[in-house]
Amino acid sequence: MKGVKLHVKVLAAALLLLGAAATAWQIFALNIPVSAETTEPVWVIDTKISFNAREKTPVKVQMYLPPSWSKFITLDESFIARNYGVNIDELEQNRRAVWSARRAEGQQQLFYRLMLTQRSNTRLSNEEPGPQFRESPNLKGVEKVAVEALLKPIREHSADIETFIREAIKLINDSSNDNARLLLRNDYSQLSKSRVLELLLSSAHIPVEQVHTLRLLSSGTQQPELWMRSYNGQRWLYFNTETGVFGLPDDRIVWWTGRDPLVKVDGGRQVKVEINSTRQTMNSIMLAQSINESRQENSWALSMYSLPLQSQQTFEIILMIPIGVMLILFLRNIVGIETLGTFTPVLIGLAFRETQVVWGIILFTTISALGLGLRSYLEHLHLQLLSRLSVVLTFVVIVMALISVLGHQLGLDRGLSIALFPMVILTMSIERLSIVWEERGGLHSLKVGIGTLIAATLAHLMMSYAPWIYFVFTFPGVLLMLMAIMLAMGHYRGYRISELFRFKAMLKDGQ
Amino acid sequence: MTSLFKTWKTLREKGIMGINERNSDYVLRYNARHLYPLVDDKILTKQKAIDNGIHVPPMYGIIDSEKQISRIRDIIGSHRDFVIKPSQGAGGDGIMVIADQFEGYYRSAGGRLLSLEDIEFHLSGILSGIYSLGGHRDRALIEYRVIPDPIFSAISYEGVPDIRIIVLKGYPVLAMLRLPTRQSGGKANLHQGAIGVGVDLATGITLDGTWLNKKIQTHPDTTNPVRGVELPFWEGFISLATRCYELTGLGYIGVDMVLDKDLGPMMLELNARPGLNIQIANDTGLSARCQAVEAEIERLEKQGVNAPTPDQRLAFCQNTFANAECAALAKELAEQRAAQEAADEEAAIRAASKPGADDPSVDAGIRVPQSGNPPPAQQ
Repeated sequence: MKGVKLHVKVLAAALLLLGAAATAWQIFALNIPVSAETTEPVWVIDTKISFNAREKTPVKVQMYLPPSWSKFITLDESFIARNYGVNIDELEQNRRAVWSARRAEGQQQLFYRLMLTQRSNTRLSNEEPGPQFRESPNLKGVEKVAVEALLKPIREHSADIETFIREAIKLINDSSNDNARLLLRNDYSQLSKSRVLELLLSSAHIPVEQVHTLRLLSSGTQQPELWMRSYNGQRWLYFNTETGVFGLPDDRIVWWTGRDPLVKVDGGRQVKVEINSTRQTMNSIMLAQSINESRQENSWALSMYSLPLQSQQTFEIILMIPIGVMLILFLRNIVGIETLGTFTPVLIGLAFRETQVVWGIILFTTISALGLGLRSYLEHLHLQLLSRLSVVLTFVVIVMALISVLGHQLGLDRGLSIALFPMVILTMSIERLSIVWEERGGLHSLKVGIGTLIAATLAHLMMSYAPWIYFVFTFPGVLLMLMAIMLAMGHYRGYRISELFRFKAMLKDGQ
Repeated sequence: MTSLFKTWKTLREKGIMGINERNSDYVLRYNARHLYPLVDDKILTKQKAIDNGIHVPPMYGIIDSEKQISRIRDIIGSHRDFVIKPSQGAGGDGIMVIADQFEGYYRSAGGRLLSLEDIEFHLSGILSGIYSLGGHRDRALIEYRVIPDPIFSAISYEGVPDIRIIVLKGYPVLAMLRLPTRQSGGKANLHQGAIGVGVDLATGITLDGTWLNKKIQTHPDTTNPVRGVELPFWEGFISLATRCYELTGLGYIGVDMVLDKDLGPMMLELNARPGLNIQIANDTGLSARCQAVEAEIERLEKQGVNAPTPDQRLAFCQNTFANAECAALAKELAEQRAAQEAADEEAAIRAASKPGADDPSVDAGIRVPQSGNPPPAQQ
């Protein structure tokens, strides 16, 4: 016995852990929302390329696309262009779309739409490591002197790559520094600064590259902003040459790297690129679903959602049944309420889904009362059990049909939902009720009937509580946890609450 | 809420057993499932008891198919009274007691007149399983109607009082006398309104009673006090119950026995899930007693005694669970009896010398088992 108890405890603990782990994995690792109401921001970035096509020449448009390794997840990506073929090339660091058409005339418009979402669990972006060493360029004359003059104080003031870059940016932005002015050739534009910074850093064997970033704004037009980055052996260091800010802000995405412009058009003139971003909200669970679909991984993470829609609806009901069963277990073994049959209340509770509680109770009571009347009449006819049950069942069906017709004619559509009542369950309930009535008296059967209705109502309320349906359906690991509790309750040896009243007489000392 | 918690604590301290504890720690633990048919099927129980020489009400016949229902007349034969029981009924449901016959009608114990068709309908109900535990087909058992010993007439109303003893691994732990009331319709089932009266294991003297979960001192119908009645043949009853462990192999059973006016103590049926109200009747917790027995079993096992004899077990329980008040009363009654016997002897001598006098009346309230005149054995 002791061994068995330990066994059950271990099994229950294992199930509980397994269920909790599965649920925790879904919540924390996959970031699946706990509530169906959670929404998350989604950014839609529209890029519009317009140009005039040269007549009778093939058109080829190349545009960089945000890489897939970004800390944002691509939900959807679409290319809209009439009469153009689209190809996506994966380059070393970048992705590039190539639109091409043999012939185009007049004003051309190409659209690229990107939907992005930031999911907190995917902060670990899988960026590829970059080079750590770079050959210094061959500089001559004044430039060489100027670079060396600049590098000297930078080296003295810096400890590592990061501080080195900081110092370099500071010096370049310092307009009183002659060496810097010389290298910039008096051109204080961002592009020029970036060029000089690259020159400085590469002379110190630090590789840098340009990155073009975009800010996720709630709405508005913008141009890609130029940042630079350098790989320090562990991670990429992003910095802004203009402001000297280090680290890419959370709302910036990397669009492409390198010195090339965003769009390159062959066979077109007057190229105009417009980038627009808008912020939308999206239901988290739908978001999680579409990410799942688009990634083709973790197919177990939202396993129930991969079922056909109709099966999903069925399973939303089926997965809630253990909750109702658990309630019955609790009501019977811990509270001590008497019910008809073991799981009859769960089935009646399921029927309440369609009829609503009040109507369900009214209909159940009406049919049971009529059925009991018929049953007591049949008692006099001395019928055998099976034929008596059949007669009662047929009677129940007729009463249900009558209620439906009557309800419909009176304009009460609720009356129609009665068809979903479990007829066989009703019939068996009537039979059992009448036996209880005969043997234990009307009061007892009333008690049992009311107990059943209370249990059915509670079961219905629990089984149709939307947040729970969502939770169980999304995290089926909960069922394992329920099973663990049921197992543990199998060895519950304490009193039922009803027994505290039953044995009340024992409290007084007889002596 | 706090009062409920307090109630809980007090009940635990008194060793009161709850349904969950009974089911998991006793019924599931000591009663192997494959042995259940033996107690759930009254016909099997009866046959097994007969094989082991335990007295049971004689069986008149078995009806096991619709076709055989017409045989009921042959089975009843010349018996004026009889009982029909579903073989697998639970809690006394479906039992029909025919006390007499009248102009082709049958009079039930409750006084209703029933036609043969009524009885046949009842039989068909039994066969189709409306009274059986799982609702499956059943057999009907027709047997001798027990006529209770008049000792109970003072504290009983109609019906047949019976004695329930709970036996754990062959150790009788609690005993109760169940008396039908008007409300229970002559049935000795507590949930139907019968009263239960605790019985001292050592002496067979009754204690206070319980009725509908309340403690009572008098019978609600007869208003006679239920306490202090010495049950006759007590040693016979309790040793019979003790031996039922060997009979069934079930470790936790309620043994139901009756005392027939003519046939003496008989075993009626066994119950693998005996009710818990026996605790209120005895004002004693079942857990407390069961734990004492389990401790004794463990102690004996350590000494290498794995199968104590029924007598050893009985002696342990009668010593451990004896009620001091009852012991004193028993002693007093024994003295009274000795005095009575002496007086009777004297009267007999006087009667012998004075021819024409009547025999001394026997129904003086308490029947004493007389050595040399055991109850007639049946079958």
